[in-house]
Amino acid sequence: MKGTLFQLVDEVTPANLKQAMQQAIEIEIATIPVYLYTYYSITRVPDQATVLKQILDDFKRIDTNGHSEEELQEAAEKLALDIMVFANKAGALIMSVAVEEMLHMSLSSNIKNALKHHGGLPELVGKTPKEWPAYLPGHQPPFPINRAKLTLDQLYTFLLIESPLPVVPNQNLRAQAITYDTIGDYYKKIEDCMRDHLTDDDFNPDAPQLINSEYYAQNNVDTVYYDKDHQPKFSNEDDSGGLIHVRGVDSAIKAMDEIVEQGEGATRFEHGHKEVGDHLTPDGKVVCPIDFDPLSYDDPSKGELSHFDKFLEIYCTITRTNHRLNDFLGTQDFDYSKYFITDLPTNTENATYPETIQKINTLTNAIYTYIFVMAEGCYKKAGHTQFEIFMFGIHKSMIWLLNVLSESMATMVYREGTGTDLKRVAVTFEDYDFAISNDSPKEQILSMAKELIGVEYEVESNGVTSKSVIVSQGTYDRMSDLPDVAL
Amino acid sequence: MENLKIKLKNETSVSNDSDGSYKPSGKTDIKVPLELHACMGLNACKGHDRYGDNDCAGAGYCATEVHACHTLNDCRGQGGCGLYGDTEEQCKPGANDCSWQGSCGTPIPAERFITQGKNKGRSVWQLARKLFEDRMDTARRNVKEAPFEYGPPIKWLQANGRDESCGYSGHKNCAFIVNKEDRIAAQEKHSKEFSKESAQLLDNTVENCECSDNE
Repeated sequence: MKGTLFQLVDEVTPANLKQAMQQAIEIEIATIPVYLYTYYSITRVPDQATVLKQILDDFKRIDTNGHSEEELQEAAEKLALDIMVFANKAGALIMSVAVEEMLHMSLSSNIKNALKHHGGLPELVGKTPKEWPAYLPGHQPPFPINRAKLTLDQLYTFLLIESPLPVVPNQNLRAQAITYDTIGDYYKKIEDCMRDHLTDDDFNPDAPQLINSEYYAQNNVDTVYYDKDHQPKFSNEDDSGGLIHVRGVDSAIKAMDEIVEQGEGATRFEHGHKEVGDHLTPDGKVVCPIDFDPLSYDDPSKGELSHFDKFLEIYCTITRTNHRLNDFLGTQDFDYSKYFITDLPTNTENATYPETIQKINTLTNAIYTYIFVMAEGCYKKAGHTQFEIFMFGIHKSMIWLLNVLSESMATMVYREGTGTDLKRVAVTFEDYDFAISNDSPKEQILSMAKELIGVEYEVESNGVTSKSVIVSQGTYDRMSDLPDVAL
Repeated sequence: MENLKIKLKNETSVSNDSDGSYKPSGKTDIKVPLELHACMGLNACKGHDRYGDNDCAGAGYCATEVHACHTLNDCRGQGGCGLYGDTEEQCKPGANDCSWQGSCGTPIPAERFITQGKNKGRSVWQLARKLFEDRMDTARRNVKEAPFEYGPPIKWLQANGRDESCGYSGHKNCAFIVNKEDRIAAQEKHSKEFSKESAQLLDNTVENCECSDNE
């Protein structure tokens, strides 16, 4: 991997444990921009009447089975209702996974910072993949990961990331990191090393860690979706785990078990290995389950599916619905996801955008990077300083700034040169290099934002374009409230 | 279609039309609020509401402090609740300890629900009102009923220049029905059922918040 110093080894030992924990952190970080990027391609709450009209128009145009208008109307209404629930649910599920990936980054960082001679400060800034497609550090076999809109291909990549079983036998391909074939396998190597070679004396429980219960909530309104009766459903469960204070070997292993179970399911609690969930075949097919097995859940109450199974649910819902619709219409390739997925570009980079869009994208990337700067700051200072950085800096940046800017950017469009075709925009989630200036990261953010207050961008919704301000004075004021954390 | 009239406790100037919307109160906001509080029915004294003309504690219309979301409140007791924030924060609507520690925006619509902990899916405003009543009881103050029994409906807030807070999962008070009349009727039904169910569970909601294992 470009920018890393990992060596080619396949065992975790006390000698490379520090490297192994840093690699674990970077594995977790690598997933965050990918899941977020795909999340922002989903229109979670489409306009039901507009979608219904689009569906009905399409049904009338492409139906080859001679259905009556009433039959098409009934089918269109059913599909529109399905979309109202599923689009929101798909968004909630992906956001619920992204929330837990941030938790996993924190748990791995807690372990690294608690390790005396085998760890140290977690390195979080500048660790987002720099080249796309990206690859999970050390995963065998390597597979490409794209920043892309929600598609079955993208969901298949998500399944590969979270798979509890090796997808194909270990091919011993070249890798520049500690090798593994599932993330669970990777953490098991670290756990084995700790069990065999470390004692509690190797940990410093007083090193700053993210352990305050107020820092983490399993759910928020963005992990919520509504069922057909518009009753709220929550994608995560309270008993699925949270932050863990790493004090020694047992708590470090507990933290890693939590990461693995949330990602892959309750593998270890039941039998010590995954007996179910063999849903990915060596030839690249996905086998959809009829019902989820109890081991597909990551919490004792069996209410929260693992990341793998959440993605499997989205994947299988889309394939089953498309299969049903193609049967009904007598078509081959009708894909209903077009009604709620925005056609975001794949692996786009800031430099490909027009200058005005580069500026808003750079600002959003700077906010994204500053979240990692603040997170690193939390591992340097405990107590009230850490609390203020996390609660008033990271929370505010994630909910109010990154989320608002990313959501807004996914509606933006532009025209290339004199062309009339609209091109889509998405935040690129590239690390911003704050080191290029002597100003503090916050000062740099404010300087960029000030220039963009009131600037109007072209946005598109349901085929209609209009002008919209992305950075308001209020948004700038929120940035002014952020804590000033140095690199 | 159900009767769309919402039960009013002590005012008659607030009514809703047949399309489910509410008429503006026609009142003017007080220029300098006497108290900054998070929502309707949470004012500590006469004249402390948004309009400055309520006659008693707990009977005021609407928040005197407005902010959009989690971490944006400027002082103690000004945070709303629900939507974002951890379990402990979501147990303190209108009762947070310090600036930026509120879990969500203000005002608090009747339809807003708690998103974290054992109280997930229950009314935020009703918990805020209960905490307010307890605080007034400790201070030996009489409290009148709020203008709306279960807090201000979103549509009343919208008719009076306020709106719902943040989030991307859609409106809390909605229904997946294309026909407008049927949708409005379903929204009203959802809202009433939600409020009544939350009211029945309120004692348990408070117990959950007092329990240290509400995680």
